[in-house]
Amino acid sequence: MPLQQGSARTRQRTVLLVGIVVLLAALVLAVVLASLLTHGKHEGSPQMLKWKDRGTTKNLQEVVLGRCYNYITAQHPELGDKDCLKIWESLKDAFIYKNPCNITSEDYQPLMELASHPIPCNKSLFWSKTGDLVHRYTKSNQNFLTLEDTLLGYMADRVSWCGDPSAPGINYESCPKRSECESNPGSVFWKMASKMFAEAACGVVQVMLNGSVEAGAFKSSSIFGSIEVFNLNPDKVSEVHIWLMQDIGGPQSESCSGHSIKRLINILEERNFKIVCEDNYRPVQLLQCVHNPDHTDCRLCTNSTAIL
Amino acid sequence: IMMSPFLPLLLVSVLFMSSFSGVQGKKWKGEGTTQNLENIVIGRCYDYIRTVNPAVGEKNCSQIWEAFKNAFINKDPCSILPKDYALFINLSLHTIPPNKSLFWENNQLLVNSFSARGRRYMSLGDTLFGFVGDFLNWCGQADSPGLDYESCPTTMECENNAVESFWRMASITYAQQSSGVIHVLLNGSADGGAFPQPGFFADYEIPNFQKGNISKIVIWVVDDIEGPDIDSCGAHSVKTLETRLKTLGYDVTCTDNYKPVMFLLCLDNPDDSKCALSSSAPAAQRGPISSVRGGSWNKLMFVSFAGFLFRFALVY
Repeated sequence: MPLQQGSARTRQRTVLLVGIVVLLAALVLAVVLASLLTHGKHEGSPQMLKWKDRGTTKNLQEVVLGRCYNYITAQHPELGDKDCLKIWESLKDAFIYKNPCNITSEDYQPLMELASHPIPCNKSLFWSKTGDLVHRYTKSNQNFLTLEDTLLGYMADRVSWCGDPSAPGINYESCPKRSECESNPGSVFWKMASKMFAEAACGVVQVMLNGSVEAGAFKSSSIFGSIEVFNLNPDKVSEVHIWLMQDIGGPQSESCSGHSIKRLINILEERNFKIVCEDNYRPVQLLQCVHNPDHTDCRLCTNSTAIL
Repeated sequence: IMMSPFLPLLLVSVLFMSSFSGVQGKKWKGEGTTQNLENIVIGRCYDYIRTVNPAVGEKNCSQIWEAFKNAFINKDPCSILPKDYALFINLSLHTIPPNKSLFWENNQLLVNSFSARGRRYMSLGDTLFGFVGDFLNWCGQADSPGLDYESCPTTMECENNAVESFWRMASITYAQQSSGVIHVLLNGSADGGAFPQPGFFADYEIPNFQKGNISKIVIWVVDDIEGPDIDSCGAHSVKTLETRLKTLGYDVTCTDNYKPVMFLLCLDNPDDSKCALSSSAPAAQRGPISSVRGGSWNKLMFVSFAGFLFRFALVY
């Protein structure tokens, strides 16, 4: 009898053990499946398109909204009537749930209208291949404004965004490069914003070009050369001042008498603008000297004993 | 006698009105809290970790805002202490790369330009905890969770106010996190001396230097381009500073009118003699090149003006 009871108990125990093992296995399987699914969700739905450039900036909403309020509250109180929430919504609506290769200027029209503001005359500063230098200059000298110093440019500078037809509608993993498709959200935005920035310019306008670039200081394919030059209004803009900056100690590839500059002057003259070109515009050269104080080009007169 | 009931009534209504009038009734002498403070602080926090300095890694910006706010809301606005910001600092803390610290007095805009958003140097305003608060104003009120947008106490009215205590705590932290070569930029044209005492650098930063982590202290005293030369290395308040630091055992050097900073000041005064570059001598003729149209327009104007004067002289 004890033997019979023992074998029944053993059978019971075995069943129990098997049951527990099966339960554990099921639990492990469930956990693995769940993590796979949620991981998949994090990466966006599997149908999201994959591109070659970096994806939408994380926390884009907070960044753009914060920059908007920062701009109108702390920096430009005269724009206090701008509705930053509406502006963010109009930016989002321009690209969310859309195929990022099919963006048009109509998509950005509401944003452009809400965020644009007048630019004081004689302050517009255009640039090509001098991004770092020109923005260091406007940061130190509030007399000039680049596109990136206007509300629109300030909000969009150094961030990226693009959408996707599948949920959640924003692609944080990747966005199309220009080489993949031209009508991508970033390119269309900057083209439109540049066009409007040029249209808004009045009085004397300035442009900072790079005289140390091998391919030439002025390129027709650049945004300046293809969009801004042709959207300056001859009824509002009287003069164009070119500042041709060469790197300190860098190659002197081009100066005001160079080929591409002659081409630019021709294009501008055809449109009835007066042009002044200056090699190494002094205030900007002084800024370059901050980083090259010991270069011979940066010697101050007060250092030498010669009296001119 | 008929007017007597009206007079006290008039008096009462005047008193009543003045206590409600915006101008006369403000609690404090300073500006009120910056509008949209929450959106700005949270936005700046994310802007910093996503675009300005992603090297600091992941931070919880909503938590940072909550900790910041809790330091001063629902309290008497004259009772805020630096340690009230301890949690805020804890959450927003990050290391400062060695040799990049830049301390300063009386030249905030210059320092902002010179540090190039933290790429050349990392001033307090280039750290996350400094970045979120720069150029903003804030205060709360006792027995209310709201921010006071109307007015805030100035430091003259009470020292332990929300903004003053914030910067004291931030300065302490900044000094504690600094290592390697320490740079200090002072204004040699400042009223009262280049090294102010009392001052943030004197009272909250120097005392919190971690001596073992600091190799050298480099002082730059730069005058405004068209400003007076009130202080310089080895003189007055700068001498006091140098002595104090040397007594503490630091290796100290001092330079007057440090060139890179001078160039920056010259941006606004390019024609000042101090800013003349020897390479701009007339020998290298690279002046403005006007277009032909421009040149002839100028000549035309001159001729017409001369003609006008001549006619005017004739008539007269």
